[in-house]
Amino acid sequence: MIPIEISGLTKYYGSLCAVDHLDLSIGNEIFALLGPNGSGKTTTVLMLTTLLRPTGGSAWMFGHDVEREAQEVRRLISYVPQDMAVDIKLTGRENVSLFAKLYGISRRDETIDRVLGMMDLTDRADDLVRTYSGGMRRRLELAQALVHEPKILFLDEPTIGLDVAARKKIWEHIRTLKSRGMTIFVTTHYMDEADHSCDRVAILDHGKVAAVDTPGNLKGMLGKDLISARVTGRFSGDLPAGIERLGEKENGEFVFSSDHASEKVPVLFRWLEDHGAVIHSLSVREPTLDDVFLALVGSRDEVTGFDDQKFRTMLRRR
Amino acid sequence: MKAILSYFERDMLRWIRGRVSVISALVMPAAWLIFVGLALPTTFTDHYIDFITPGILVLTMLGASLQGGSLLIFDKILGFLNKFLALPSSRESILYGKILFITTRGLIQATVILVLAFILGATFLSPWSLALTYGILALFGVLLSAFSTTVALFLSDHDAYAAFNAMVSMPLFFTSSALMPYAVMPAWLSPLAYWNPVSYAIDAIRALQEGVLAWPRIGALFLLAVMVVGISVRQFRKVTL
Repeated sequence: MIPIEISGLTKYYGSLCAVDHLDLSIGNEIFALLGPNGSGKTTTVLMLTTLLRPTGGSAWMFGHDVEREAQEVRRLISYVPQDMAVDIKLTGRENVSLFAKLYGISRRDETIDRVLGMMDLTDRADDLVRTYSGGMRRRLELAQALVHEPKILFLDEPTIGLDVAARKKIWEHIRTLKSRGMTIFVTTHYMDEADHSCDRVAILDHGKVAAVDTPGNLKGMLGKDLISARVTGRFSGDLPAGIERLGEKENGEFVFSSDHASEKVPVLFRWLEDHGAVIHSLSVREPTLDDVFLALVGSRDEVTGFDDQKFRTMLRRR
Repeated sequence: MKAILSYFERDMLRWIRGRVSVISALVMPAAWLIFVGLALPTTFTDHYIDFITPGILVLTMLGASLQGGSLLIFDKILGFLNKFLALPSSRESILYGKILFITTRGLIQATVILVLAFILGATFLSPWSLALTYGILALFGVLLSAFSTTVALFLSDHDAYAAFNAMVSMPLFFTSSALMPYAVMPAWLSPLAYWNPVSYAIDAIRALQEGVLAWPRIGALFLLAVMVVGISVRQFRKVTL
Protein backbone atom coordinates (compact mmCIF):
# COMPACT_ATOMS: atom_id res chain seq x y z
CA MET A 1 0.00 0.00 0.00
CA ILE A 2 1.34 3.40 -0.98
CA PRO A 3 1.81 5.76 1.99
CA ILE A 4 0.61 8.92 0.23
CA GLU A 5 -1.29 9.03 -3.04
CA ILE A 6 -2.47 12.41 -4.33
CA SER A 7 -4.68 12.76 -7.37
CA GLY A 8 -5.96 15.98 -8.90
CA LEU A 9 -5.86 17.74 -5.54
CA THR A 10 -7.13 21.30 -5.98
CA LYS A 11 -7.97 24.17 -3.66
CA TYR A 12 -9.55 27.46 -4.56
CA TYR A 13 -9.90 30.36 -2.12
CA GLY A 14 -12.65 32.24 -3.87
CA SER A 15 -11.28 32.73 -7.36
CA LEU A 16 -7.66 32.32 -6.27
CA CYS A 17 -6.24 28.91 -7.08
CA ALA A 18 -3.87 27.94 -4.26
CA VAL A 19 -3.29 24.34 -5.29
CA ASP A 20 -3.85 23.30 -8.88
CA HIS A 21 -4.45 19.63 -9.75
CA LEU A 22 -1.64 18.13 -7.75
CA ASP A 23 -0.69 14.54 -8.59
CA LEU A 24 1.95 12.85 -6.45
CA SER A 25 2.75 9.40 -5.25
CA ILE A 26 4.97 9.20 -2.20
CA GLY A 27 6.56 6.06 -0.86
CA ASN A 28 8.53 5.33 2.27
CA GLU A 29 10.90 8.29 1.93
CA ILE A 30 11.64 11.82 3.02
CA PHE A 31 9.67 13.88 0.56
CA ALA A 32 9.96 17.65 0.40
CA LEU A 33 7.60 20.15 -1.09
CA LEU A 34 9.71 23.12 -2.13
CA GLY A 35 8.54 26.53 -3.06
CA PRO A 36 8.47 30.18 -2.14
CA ASN A 37 5.94 31.63 0.28
CA GLY A 38 2.49 31.55 -1.25
CA SER A 39 3.20 28.67 -3.63
CA GLY A 40 0.60 26.46 -1.92
CA LYS A 41 2.78 24.30 0.33
CA THR A 42 0.89 24.86 3.55
CA THR A 43 -2.49 24.60 1.82
CA THR A 44 -1.43 21.21 0.47
CA VAL A 45 -0.35 20.00 3.90
CA LEU A 46 -3.59 21.19 5.48
CA MET A 47 -5.59 19.20 2.95
CA LEU A 48 -3.46 16.09 3.43
CA THR A 49 -3.85 16.32 7.22
CA THR A 50 -7.68 16.52 6.96
CA LEU A 51 -7.77 20.11 8.22
CA LEU A 52 -8.92 21.68 4.98
CA ARG A 53 -11.48 20.39 2.54
CA PRO A 54 -10.17 20.17 -1.05
CA THR A 55 -12.15 21.93 -3.77
CA GLY A 56 -11.45 19.01 -6.07
CA GLY A 57 -9.49 15.78 -6.31
CA SER A 58 -8.47 13.71 -3.34
CA ALA A 59 -5.64 12.08 -1.46
CA TRP A 60 -5.20 8.75 0.30
CA MET A 61 -3.00 7.78 3.23
CA PHE A 62 -2.34 4.04 3.02
CA GLY A 63 -5.55 3.78 1.02
CA HIS A 64 -7.67 5.89 3.37
CA ASP A 65 -9.41 8.86 1.78
CA VAL A 66 -8.56 12.12 3.58
CA GLU A 67 -12.13 13.37 3.24
CA ARG A 68 -14.31 10.32 3.74
CA GLU A 69 -12.06 8.47 6.18
CA ALA A 70 -10.63 11.45 8.03
CA GLN A 71 -10.72 9.64 11.35
CA GLU A 72 -8.65 6.72 10.05
CA VAL A 73 -6.19 9.13 8.47
CA ARG A 74 -5.76 11.05 11.73
CA ARG A 75 -4.79 7.82 13.46
CA LEU A 76 -2.06 7.17 10.88
CA ILE A 77 -0.49 10.59 10.71
CA SER A 78 1.05 13.29 12.86
CA TYR A 79 1.15 16.91 11.93
CA VAL A 80 3.60 19.53 13.19
CA PRO A 81 2.58 22.97 11.94
CA GLN A 82 5.13 25.72 11.50
CA ASP A 83 3.86 27.83 14.40
CA MET A 84 5.89 26.09 17.14
CA ALA A 85 2.88 25.55 19.37
CA VAL A 86 4.07 24.21 22.72
CA ASP A 87 2.77 25.35 26.09
CA ILE A 88 5.52 27.37 27.71
CA LYS A 89 3.93 27.24 31.15
CA LEU A 90 4.02 23.45 31.09
CA THR A 91 7.07 21.22 31.39
CA GLY A 92 8.32 19.25 28.42
CA ARG A 93 6.96 16.08 29.97
CA GLU A 94 3.53 17.65 30.56
CA ASN A 95 3.40 18.80 26.96
CA VAL A 96 4.08 15.29 25.71
CA SER A 97 1.77 13.78 28.31
CA LEU A 98 -1.12 15.88 26.97
CA PHE A 99 -0.73 14.31 23.55
CA ALA A 100 -0.27 10.83 24.95
CA LYS A 101 -3.58 11.22 26.78
CA LEU A 102 -5.34 12.71 23.77
CA TYR A 103 -4.18 9.78 21.66
CA GLY A 104 -5.27 7.38 24.38
CA ILE A 105 -1.87 5.72 24.63
CA SER A 106 -1.61 2.74 26.93
CA ARG A 107 1.57 2.42 29.04
CA ARG A 108 1.83 6.18 28.94
CA ASP A 109 4.85 6.85 31.15
CA GLU A 110 6.96 4.40 29.21
CA THR A 111 5.96 5.97 25.90
CA ILE A 112 6.61 9.50 27.12
CA ASP A 113 10.08 8.55 28.37
CA ARG A 114 10.83 6.83 25.09
CA VAL A 115 9.88 9.73 22.79
CA LEU A 116 11.58 12.31 25.01
CA GLY A 117 14.68 10.13 24.88
CA MET A 118 14.49 9.83 21.11
CA MET A 119 14.52 13.62 20.84
CA ASP A 120 17.37 14.01 23.38
CA LEU A 121 15.16 15.85 25.84
CA THR A 122 15.37 13.48 28.80
CA ASP A 123 17.63 15.79 30.85
CA ARG A 124 15.35 18.78 30.50
CA ALA A 125 12.02 16.93 30.51
CA ASP A 126 10.85 18.38 33.81
CA ASP A 127 11.83 21.99 33.13
CA LEU A 128 9.24 24.50 32.01
CA VAL A 129 9.25 24.90 28.23
CA ARG A 130 9.67 28.64 28.77
CA THR A 131 13.35 27.87 29.36
CA TYR A 132 13.76 25.82 26.15
CA SER A 133 15.59 27.08 23.06
CA GLY A 134 13.86 27.17 19.68
CA GLY A 135 15.47 23.93 18.58
CA MET A 136 14.42 22.17 21.78
CA ARG A 137 10.85 23.37 21.36
CA ARG A 138 10.78 22.00 17.85
CA ARG A 139 12.15 18.67 19.10
CA LEU A 140 9.49 18.67 21.80
CA GLU A 141 6.87 19.03 19.09
CA LEU A 142 8.40 16.08 17.29
CA ALA A 143 8.24 14.09 20.52
CA GLN A 144 4.55 14.98 20.84
CA ALA A 145 3.98 13.87 17.28
CA LEU A 146 5.65 10.50 17.90
CA VAL A 147 3.63 9.27 20.91
CA HIS A 148 1.21 7.21 18.81
CA GLU A 149 3.89 5.89 16.45
CA PRO A 150 2.48 7.46 13.29
CA LYS A 151 3.13 5.93 9.89
CA ILE A 152 3.37 9.33 8.24
CA LEU A 153 4.77 12.53 9.68
CA PHE A 154 3.86 15.91 8.20
CA LEU A 155 6.27 18.72 9.02
CA ASP A 156 5.51 22.22 7.84
CA GLU A 157 8.72 24.27 7.69
CA PRO A 158 10.37 22.26 10.48
CA THR A 159 13.51 24.39 10.62
CA ILE A 160 12.12 27.87 10.11
CA GLY A 161 13.66 30.42 12.44
CA LEU A 162 16.23 28.01 13.93
CA ASP A 163 19.97 28.54 13.95
CA VAL A 164 22.28 26.40 11.84
CA ALA A 165 23.20 23.90 14.56
CA ALA A 166 19.58 23.39 15.59
CA ARG A 167 18.54 22.91 11.98
CA LYS A 168 21.19 20.28 11.47
CA LYS A 169 20.05 18.43 14.54
CA ILE A 170 16.39 18.48 13.47
CA TRP A 171 17.35 16.97 10.13
CA GLU A 172 19.40 14.26 11.85
CA HIS A 173 16.32 13.31 13.84
CA ILE A 174 14.15 13.34 10.75
CA ARG A 175 16.54 10.98 8.98
CA THR A 176 16.58 8.66 11.98
CA LEU A 177 12.78 8.52 11.94
CA LYS A 178 12.81 7.68 8.26
CA SER A 179 15.29 4.88 8.84
CA ARG A 180 12.80 3.42 11.33
CA GLY A 181 10.25 3.13 8.56
CA MET A 182 8.32 6.37 8.84
CA THR A 183 7.24 8.29 5.75
CA ILE A 184 8.13 11.97 6.14
CA PHE A 185 6.47 14.76 4.22
CA VAL A 186 8.12 18.15 4.76
CA THR A 187 7.64 21.57 3.29
CA THR A 188 10.51 23.99 3.25
CA HIS A 189 11.84 26.94 1.39
CA TYR A 190 15.43 26.17 2.38
CA MET A 191 16.74 24.60 -0.83
CA ASP A 192 20.04 23.48 0.66
CA GLU A 193 18.31 21.47 3.39
CA ALA A 194 16.10 19.69 0.90
CA ASP A 195 19.16 19.01 -1.22
CA HIS A 196 21.11 17.36 1.61
CA SER A 197 18.40 15.54 3.46
CA CYS A 198 15.49 14.58 1.26
CA ASP A 199 15.07 11.52 -0.94
CA ARG A 200 12.82 13.29 -3.41
CA VAL A 201 11.60 16.82 -3.83
CA ALA A 202 8.70 18.41 -5.68
CA ILE A 203 9.09 22.00 -6.75
CA LEU A 204 5.83 23.85 -6.40
CA ASP A 205 5.08 27.00 -8.35
CA HIS A 206 1.75 28.79 -8.04
CA GLY A 207 0.08 25.62 -6.85
CA LYS A 208 1.45 23.44 -9.65
CA VAL A 209 4.24 20.88 -9.55
CA ALA A 210 7.03 22.14 -11.78
CA ALA A 211 9.20 19.04 -11.27
CA VAL A 212 9.48 15.96 -9.04
CA ASP A 213 12.63 13.92 -8.70
CA THR A 214 15.64 13.21 -6.52
CA PRO A 215 17.76 16.30 -5.82
CA GLY A 216 20.57 14.68 -7.82
CA ASN A 217 18.45 14.12 -10.93
CA LEU A 218 16.97 17.59 -10.77
CA LYS A 219 20.42 19.15 -10.64
CA GLY A 220 21.51 16.77 -13.40
CA MET A 221 18.93 18.37 -15.68
CA LEU A 222 21.09 21.47 -15.72
CA GLY A 223 24.21 19.69 -16.89
CA LYS A 224 27.40 19.10 -14.99
CA ASP A 225 28.44 22.68 -14.31
CA LEU A 226 27.09 26.18 -14.41
CA ILE A 227 28.73 29.53 -15.03
CA SER A 228 27.99 32.17 -12.49
CA ALA A 229 28.60 35.82 -13.33
CA ARG A 230 28.60 38.97 -11.27
CA VAL A 231 28.27 41.93 -13.56
CA THR A 232 26.99 45.46 -13.55
CA GLY A 233 25.39 47.18 -16.49
CA ARG A 234 22.74 45.76 -18.76
CA PHE A 235 23.49 43.44 -21.59
CA SER A 236 21.29 42.05 -24.31
CA GLY A 237 21.49 40.12 -27.55
CA ASP A 238 21.81 36.49 -28.57
CA LEU A 239 24.23 34.50 -26.44
CA PRO A 240 27.07 32.61 -28.14
CA ALA A 241 26.20 29.09 -29.29
CA GLY A 242 26.20 26.44 -26.55
CA ILE A 243 25.48 28.85 -23.71
CA GLU A 244 22.05 29.33 -22.25
CA ARG A 245 20.89 31.91 -19.81
CA LEU A 246 19.25 30.33 -16.74
CA GLY A 247 18.23 33.52 -15.04
CA GLU A 248 19.14 36.15 -12.53
CA LYS A 249 19.01 35.52 -8.82
CA GLU A 250 17.70 38.02 -6.34
CA ASN A 251 21.26 38.66 -5.15
CA GLY A 252 22.22 39.91 -8.62
CA GLU A 253 24.01 36.75 -9.73
CA PHE A 254 23.50 35.75 -13.37
CA VAL A 255 23.53 32.03 -14.03
CA PHE A 256 24.33 30.40 -17.38
CA SER A 257 24.30 26.77 -18.30
CA SER A 258 26.49 25.01 -20.80
CA ASP A 259 27.59 21.46 -21.55
CA HIS A 260 31.24 22.48 -21.48
CA ALA A 261 31.18 25.18 -18.90
CA SER A 262 34.94 25.65 -18.34
CA GLU A 263 35.69 26.01 -22.02
CA LYS A 264 32.86 28.45 -22.49
CA VAL A 265 34.06 30.85 -19.78
CA PRO A 266 36.41 32.82 -22.13
CA VAL A 267 33.69 32.89 -24.80
CA LEU A 268 31.14 34.24 -22.35
CA PHE A 269 33.68 36.72 -20.95
CA ARG A 270 34.32 38.29 -24.35
CA TRP A 271 30.63 38.31 -25.22
CA LEU A 272 29.61 40.03 -21.99
CA GLU A 273 32.30 42.69 -22.44
CA ASP A 274 31.25 43.29 -26.03
CA HIS A 275 27.63 43.67 -24.99
CA GLY A 276 28.04 46.39 -22.43
CA ALA A 277 28.50 44.59 -19.11
CA VAL A 278 31.23 45.27 -16.56
CA ILE A 279 32.39 41.92 -15.23
CA HIS A 280 33.32 41.54 -11.55
CA SER A 281 33.66 37.82 -11.41
CA LEU A 282 33.01 34.77 -13.51
CA SER A 283 33.16 31.28 -12.09
CA VAL A 284 32.23 27.70 -12.77
CA ARG A 285 30.36 25.77 -10.10
CA GLU A 286 28.13 22.79 -9.61
CA PRO A 287 24.38 23.31 -9.88
CA THR A 288 22.33 23.56 -6.69
CA LEU A 289 18.61 23.09 -6.17
CA ASP A 290 18.42 26.86 -6.10
CA ASP A 291 19.53 26.87 -9.75
CA VAL A 292 16.96 24.22 -10.60
CA PHE A 293 14.39 26.45 -9.03
CA LEU A 294 15.64 29.42 -11.00
CA ALA A 295 15.45 27.47 -14.24
CA LEU A 296 11.96 26.11 -13.59
CA VAL A 297 10.21 28.90 -11.76
CA GLY A 298 12.27 32.01 -12.32
CA SER A 299 13.32 34.45 -9.65
CA ARG A 300 12.46 33.52 -6.09
CA ASP A 301 10.98 36.91 -5.36
CA GLU A 302 8.20 36.76 -2.81
CA VAL A 303 5.02 35.90 -4.59
CA THR A 304 2.76 37.09 -1.84
CA GLY A 305 2.82 40.14 0.37
CA PHE A 306 4.29 40.18 3.80
CA ASP A 307 3.38 37.05 5.70
CA ASP A 308 2.64 38.28 9.20
CA GLN A 309 1.93 34.78 10.51
CA LYS A 310 5.40 33.68 9.60
CA PHE A 311 6.89 36.89 10.94
CA ARG A 312 5.19 36.37 14.28
CA THR A 313 6.39 32.80 14.35
CA MET A 314 9.96 33.89 13.82
CA LEU A 315 9.75 36.63 16.43
CA ARG A 316 8.35 34.28 19.04
CA ARG A 317 11.22 31.96 18.57
CA ARG A 318 13.97 34.38 19.44
CA MET B 1 -14.13 11.67 28.26
CA LYS B 2 -10.43 11.26 28.83
CA ALA B 3 -9.70 13.78 26.10
CA ILE B 4 -12.02 16.33 27.73
CA LEU B 5 -10.23 15.95 31.04
CA SER B 6 -6.84 16.27 29.31
CA TYR B 7 -7.84 19.54 27.66
CA PHE B 8 -9.26 20.70 31.00
CA GLU B 9 -6.07 19.81 32.83
CA ARG B 10 -3.98 21.73 30.29
CA ASP B 11 -6.00 24.93 30.65
CA MET B 12 -6.10 24.58 34.43
CA LEU B 13 -2.32 24.17 34.74
CA ARG B 14 -1.74 27.14 32.47
CA TRP B 15 -4.16 29.29 34.46
CA ILE B 16 -2.80 28.38 37.88
CA ARG B 17 0.78 28.95 36.78
CA GLY B 18 -0.02 32.43 35.49
CA ARG B 19 -0.34 33.87 38.99
CA VAL B 20 -1.44 37.35 37.95
CA SER B 21 -4.46 36.02 36.10
CA VAL B 22 -5.53 34.02 39.17
CA ILE B 23 -5.27 37.03 41.45
CA SER B 24 -7.07 39.23 38.95
CA ALA B 25 -9.86 36.69 38.56
CA LEU B 26 -10.43 36.74 42.32
CA VAL B 27 -10.06 40.48 42.94
CA MET B 28 -12.30 41.68 40.10
CA PRO B 29 -15.62 40.21 41.32
CA ALA B 30 -14.81 41.19 44.90
CA ALA B 31 -14.40 44.78 43.80
CA TRP B 32 -17.78 44.65 42.09
CA LEU B 33 -19.49 43.30 45.17
CA ILE B 34 -17.98 45.87 47.50
CA PHE B 35 -18.36 48.96 45.34
CA VAL B 36 -21.73 48.17 43.81
CA GLY B 37 -23.19 46.23 46.71
CA LEU B 38 -22.27 48.65 49.46
CA ALA B 39 -22.04 52.01 47.73
CA LEU B 40 -25.19 52.33 45.61
CA PRO B 41 -27.91 54.42 47.29
CA THR B 42 -31.03 52.29 47.00
CA THR B 43 -34.52 52.81 48.32
CA PHE B 44 -36.41 49.70 47.27
CA THR B 45 -34.74 47.45 49.83
CA ASP B 46 -32.98 47.94 53.13
CA HIS B 47 -30.76 44.88 52.59
CA TYR B 48 -29.25 45.56 49.18
CA ILE B 49 -26.41 43.09 49.69
CA ASP B 50 -28.95 40.23 49.66
CA PHE B 51 -30.46 41.65 46.51
CA ILE B 52 -27.24 42.34 44.64
CA THR B 53 -25.31 39.15 45.47
CA PRO B 54 -27.17 36.94 42.93
CA GLY B 55 -26.61 39.67 40.34
CA ILE B 56 -22.88 39.83 41.01
CA LEU B 57 -22.61 36.03 41.05
CA VAL B 58 -24.16 35.82 37.61
CA LEU B 59 -22.15 38.81 36.39
CA THR B 60 -19.02 36.98 37.46
CA MET B 61 -20.02 33.88 35.50
CA LEU B 62 -20.90 36.07 32.54
CA GLY B 63 -17.53 37.82 32.59
CA ALA B 64 -15.60 34.60 33.17
CA SER B 65 -17.42 32.82 30.34
CA LEU B 66 -17.07 35.58 27.79
CA GLN B 67 -13.44 36.10 28.67
CA GLY B 68 -12.98 32.35 28.38
CA GLY B 69 -13.60 32.51 24.66
CA SER B 70 -10.25 34.17 24.23
CA LEU B 71 -8.61 30.89 25.28
CA LEU B 72 -9.70 29.37 22.00
CA ILE B 73 -8.67 32.49 20.09
CA PHE B 74 -5.14 32.11 21.43
CA ASP B 75 -5.11 28.37 20.74
CA LYS B 76 -6.06 29.26 17.21
CA ILE B 77 -3.58 32.10 16.66
CA LEU B 78 -0.68 30.18 18.19
CA GLY B 79 -1.31 27.02 16.17
CA PHE B 80 -2.51 24.71 18.98
CA LEU B 81 -5.95 24.32 17.47
CA ASN B 82 -4.51 23.00 14.21
CA LYS B 83 -2.65 20.33 16.12
CA PHE B 84 -5.73 19.40 18.17
CA LEU B 85 -7.97 19.24 15.12
CA ALA B 86 -5.56 16.84 13.42
CA LEU B 87 -5.89 14.37 16.33
CA PRO B 88 -8.14 11.32 16.13
CA SER B 89 -9.85 12.19 19.44
CA SER B 90 -13.29 13.68 18.86
CA ARG B 91 -13.30 17.36 18.02
CA GLU B 92 -16.16 18.25 20.30
CA SER B 93 -13.96 17.20 23.22
CA ILE B 94 -12.02 20.42 22.57
CA LEU B 95 -15.28 22.31 23.11
CA TYR B 96 -16.30 20.29 26.17
CA GLY B 97 -12.84 20.79 27.68
CA LYS B 98 -13.17 24.55 27.31
CA ILE B 99 -16.71 24.55 28.74
CA LEU B 100 -15.54 22.49 31.71
CA PHE B 101 -12.55 24.71 32.42
CA ILE B 102 -14.27 28.06 31.89
CA THR B 103 -17.24 27.03 34.03
CA THR B 104 -15.03 25.65 36.79
CA ARG B 105 -12.97 28.81 36.84
CA GLY B 106 -16.18 30.86 37.00
CA LEU B 107 -17.47 28.79 39.93
CA ILE B 108 -14.22 29.32 41.80
CA GLN B 109 -14.67 33.06 41.34
CA ALA B 110 -18.31 32.79 42.39
CA THR B 111 -17.20 31.08 45.59
CA VAL B 112 -15.07 34.09 46.45
CA ILE B 113 -18.12 36.31 45.98
CA LEU B 114 -20.28 34.10 48.15
CA VAL B 115 -17.78 34.00 51.00
CA LEU B 116 -17.31 37.75 50.81
CA ALA B 117 -21.06 38.38 50.65
CA PHE B 118 -21.61 36.38 53.83
CA ILE B 119 -18.80 38.30 55.53
CA LEU B 120 -20.46 41.56 54.44
CA GLY B 121 -23.70 40.49 56.08
CA ALA B 122 -25.66 38.63 53.44
CA THR B 123 -28.22 36.17 54.79
CA PHE B 124 -26.96 32.58 54.85
CA LEU B 125 -28.49 30.14 52.41
CA SER B 126 -29.56 26.67 53.39
CA PRO B 127 -27.15 23.97 52.13
CA TRP B 128 -29.83 22.84 49.70
CA SER B 129 -30.30 26.36 48.27
CA LEU B 130 -26.55 26.82 48.13
CA ALA B 131 -26.12 23.62 46.13
CA LEU B 132 -28.87 24.68 43.74
CA THR B 133 -27.28 28.11 43.38
CA TYR B 134 -24.10 26.42 42.22
CA GLY B 135 -26.14 24.28 39.87
CA ILE B 136 -27.78 27.30 38.26
CA LEU B 137 -24.46 29.13 37.97
CA ALA B 138 -22.91 26.06 36.36
CA LEU B 139 -25.77 25.80 33.87
CA PHE B 140 -25.39 29.47 33.02
CA GLY B 141 -21.62 29.02 32.67
CA VAL B 142 -22.09 26.09 30.29
CA LEU B 143 -24.48 28.15 28.16
CA LEU B 144 -22.24 31.19 27.94
CA SER B 145 -18.90 29.39 27.60
CA ALA B 146 -20.24 27.21 24.78
CA PHE B 147 -21.49 30.35 23.09
CA SER B 148 -18.26 32.33 23.52
CA THR B 149 -16.00 29.42 22.53
CA THR B 150 -17.98 28.80 19.36
CA VAL B 151 -17.96 32.49 18.44
CA ALA B 152 -14.19 32.42 18.98
CA LEU B 153 -13.94 29.51 16.55
CA PHE B 154 -15.16 31.81 13.79
CA LEU B 155 -13.28 34.98 14.68
CA SER B 156 -9.77 35.40 13.37
CA ASP B 157 -7.95 37.48 15.93
CA HIS B 158 -7.98 38.75 19.44
CA ASP B 159 -9.07 42.30 18.58
CA ALA B 160 -12.20 40.97 16.92
CA TYR B 161 -12.92 38.83 19.94
CA ALA B 162 -12.39 41.70 22.40
CA ALA B 163 -14.82 43.79 20.34
CA PHE B 164 -17.38 40.99 20.40
CA ASN B 165 -16.93 40.59 24.15
CA ALA B 166 -17.43 44.30 24.84
CA MET B 167 -20.44 44.43 22.56
CA VAL B 168 -22.15 41.50 24.24
CA SER B 169 -21.26 41.63 27.93
CA MET B 170 -22.26 45.16 28.90
CA PRO B 171 -25.73 45.24 27.26
CA LEU B 172 -26.48 41.74 28.53
CA PHE B 173 -25.67 42.74 32.08
CA PHE B 174 -27.33 46.14 32.19
CA THR B 175 -30.54 44.92 30.56
CA SER B 176 -30.85 42.17 33.16
CA SER B 177 -32.51 42.15 36.54
CA ALA B 178 -29.09 42.27 38.24
CA LEU B 179 -29.15 45.79 39.64
CA MET B 180 -32.85 46.45 40.33
CA PRO B 181 -36.11 44.52 40.61
CA TYR B 182 -38.60 44.58 37.74
CA ALA B 183 -40.95 46.81 39.78
CA VAL B 184 -38.63 49.80 39.79
CA MET B 185 -37.40 49.46 36.18
CA PRO B 186 -38.45 51.91 33.49
CA ALA B 187 -41.35 50.49 31.48
CA TRP B 188 -39.24 49.87 28.35
CA LEU B 189 -36.62 47.95 30.29
CA SER B 190 -38.66 45.41 32.22
CA PRO B 191 -39.80 43.22 29.27
CA LEU B 192 -36.27 43.35 27.86
CA ALA B 193 -34.88 42.30 31.22
CA TYR B 194 -37.44 39.54 31.59
CA TRP B 195 -36.41 37.84 28.36
CA ASN B 196 -32.67 38.30 28.90
CA PRO B 197 -31.07 34.91 29.70
CA VAL B 198 -28.89 36.60 32.30
CA SER B 199 -32.08 37.34 34.23
CA TYR B 200 -33.15 33.69 34.07
CA ALA B 201 -30.16 32.80 36.21
CA ILE B 202 -30.45 35.82 38.51
CA ASP B 203 -34.18 35.38 39.11
CA ALA B 204 -33.76 31.67 39.76
CA ILE B 205 -31.09 32.35 42.39
CA ARG B 206 -33.18 35.11 44.00
CA ALA B 207 -36.11 32.72 44.24
CA LEU B 208 -33.82 30.26 46.04
CA GLN B 209 -33.15 32.91 48.69
CA GLU B 210 -36.87 32.70 49.46
CA GLY B 211 -36.67 28.91 49.35
CA VAL B 212 -38.60 28.75 46.07
CA LEU B 213 -37.60 26.70 43.03
CA ALA B 214 -38.36 28.86 39.99
CA TRP B 215 -38.88 26.06 37.51
CA PRO B 216 -39.87 28.17 34.47
CA ARG B 217 -36.68 30.18 34.73
CA ILE B 218 -34.44 27.18 35.38
CA GLY B 219 -36.20 25.28 32.60
CA ALA B 220 -35.67 28.12 30.14
CA LEU B 221 -32.01 28.30 31.05
CA PHE B 222 -31.66 24.55 30.66
CA LEU B 223 -33.33 24.46 27.24
CA LEU B 224 -31.22 27.35 26.02
CA ALA B 225 -28.04 25.66 27.25
CA VAL B 226 -28.93 22.37 25.53
CA MET B 227 -29.67 24.23 22.31
CA VAL B 228 -26.48 26.30 22.30
CA VAL B 229 -24.26 23.34 23.24
CA GLY B 230 -25.94 21.29 20.50
CA ILE B 231 -25.26 23.91 17.87
CA SER B 232 -21.71 24.39 19.13
CA VAL B 233 -20.93 20.67 18.93
CA ARG B 234 -22.10 20.62 15.32
CA GLN B 235 -19.85 23.55 14.50
CA PHE B 236 -16.82 21.93 16.11
CA ARG B 237 -17.45 18.63 14.33
CA LYS B 238 -17.48 20.13 10.89
CA VAL B 239 -14.95 22.92 11.29
CA THR B 240 -12.20 23.19 8.70
CA LEU B 241 -9.76 26.03 8.48
